[in-house]
Amino acid sequence: MTSTDPPDDERVPLFGTWPRIYAAVVACALAVMALLAVFSAVRY
Amino acid sequence: MSSLDWSVLAVYLVAVVAFGVWTGRGNRRIEDFFLAGRQMRWWAVGLSVMATQISAITFIGTTGQAYTDGMRFLTFYFGLPFAMVVLCLTLVPFFYRARVYTAYEYLERRFDARTRTLTSLLFLLSRGLSVGVTLYAPSLVLSVILGWSESATILMMGGSTILYVAYGGNKSVIWTDVAQMAIIWIGIFLCFGTAVAQLPADLGLRDALALAQTTGRLRIMDTSTSLAAPYTLWSGLIGGFFLMLSYFGCDQSQVQRYLSGSSLTQSRLSLLFNAFLKVPMQFLILLTGVLVFVFYHFHPAPMLWNPVEMRKLEAKADPAELAAVRQRYAAAEAQRRTTAEAWTASRSPDAEAAYHAARAEMDAARGQAVKMVERINGGARYNDTNYIFPSYILAHLPRGLAGLVIAVIFAAAMSTLSGEFNSLATATVVDFYKRFVNPAGTDAGDLLVSRLLTAFWGGFACLVALRAGQLGSAIEVVNRFGSYFYGSILGVFLLAVLTPRAAARGAFYGLMIGMAAVFAVSRYTPVHFLWYNVVGAATVFVAGLVITAASPRDP
Repeated sequence: MTSTDPPDDERVPLFGTWPRIYAAVVACALAVMALLAVFSAVRY
Repeated sequence: MSSLDWSVLAVYLVAVVAFGVWTGRGNRRIEDFFLAGRQMRWWAVGLSVMATQISAITFIGTTGQAYTDGMRFLTFYFGLPFAMVVLCLTLVPFFYRARVYTAYEYLERRFDARTRTLTSLLFLLSRGLSVGVTLYAPSLVLSVILGWSESATILMMGGSTILYVAYGGNKSVIWTDVAQMAIIWIGIFLCFGTAVAQLPADLGLRDALALAQTTGRLRIMDTSTSLAAPYTLWSGLIGGFFLMLSYFGCDQSQVQRYLSGSSLTQSRLSLLFNAFLKVPMQFLILLTGVLVFVFYHFHPAPMLWNPVEMRKLEAKADPAELAAVRQRYAAAEAQRRTTAEAWTASRSPDAEAAYHAARAEMDAARGQAVKMVERINGGARYNDTNYIFPSYILAHLPRGLAGLVIAVIFAAAMSTLSGEFNSLATATVVDFYKRFVNPAGTDAGDLLVSRLLTAFWGGFACLVALRAGQLGSAIEVVNRFGSYFYGSILGVFLLAVLTPRAAARGAFYGLMIGMAAVFAVSRYTPVHFLWYNVVGAATVFVAGLVITAASPRDP
């Protein structure tokens, strides 16, 4: 069961290309984990 | 609860139902009802995806877990951002361009009707049963803490959700999820702020974190390589990655959310939005639980958090024994407070040792009380982790705010239930009713059937929840049921999109072999459940390829 034809997709909203967006997400995730590791390890 | 709290909760319930009905107007076809006419923007879909995932028991359970165990649970979500990227690269474009209503519909295009029917049926079985538990768990906690009738709580939560989902379909689900997610975020910030504000005047946030740290509550990164250890960095990154791939890629309750995007770009952005926000949100929730733990160093903490079990203990236990345990607990608690104050003031190793000794004594006294409860309950395991945060809300939050946070728990439950009722109805209508019973139905007829089936699944969830108290350990079986085949279904989808040569026979029998493998691992090894999805997906993928290679080619 399908519906009507898909509309044309929109242009990439940020950073120009999807691979750059994905790289930004991965970099952000790694940065958050690094910050969490610091939060966990630093002596209060 | 005060009358102000009751008013806040009542306003929330009335407003959410009215808002759901209002936003769900204008459905003409099942594409409107199930996919919101494919017109939703990324931020609305993204918030709906987030709201569907965070259930009430996640909200109250994780704060309780942070109180008892610390923040290790956060690693559970570490695989999520990477899973979102992989889904945006693989399954999402396939689903979106195929213009399907359900994830399983895509499998018929790629393989055959048998594979689609089996995967959809597995979804209906597991989600249909677990949605009852999703409703039962917070209802039980709220009824115990607030003294409400369990049935009334179930019917209030489930009934109000059925009202707007059966009328408005996915549009109502998404827009109420947006509103509920806003309430949940406000609630999280208020709880966090209140927990900080309620620390003693001479105890700064840094001292509170130091106290939590010395008990191991701030430890997030457990680098143990044991497959049996819960919530390690590796199980979170690898097991969590596969779990999130399975949940967001193959579970209709999530797939349906992002298929409502107005374009592939909007669908992708909705998932990436979650990739950014999920871990920070869980961090805040867990940190709130840790601060509640510190808070109870300076305020009396109940010996048992479940008041019903405490009353049962008072009625049935030997009074002398109970009095002795209470006395031991009270003395240990006072000692813990004194030593905690001394340690935060001096930070000396001796003060730290004295604090740990007092804490161990308090844990031992509580352990004695837990053993007594288990004894009078015929040996049944006692766990009151889910009662900690609601108890804190009621006892220590200002009037009005307590009602708002109870509304947040309702919002978290209802946002999950709404997505699940809607997706169960979708799979039933699209994969069974329209596929086998009435493929040529009219728009009006299909819409009516869709609404009736939404109400049916909502009613079924209420029925399971009302009977769940008598199911006992069957609830655990239901909860585990999904984990047996989640990863295996993911394996079928990976076969579909990554290997053009994989055939229907390989996918179907590979799925059977994958589920058997997961069952064997869960039954005969101590491997933690986060790894089941890795086992299932890998087994199906390899078995599917081998069976395809060994089978005669289709003409």
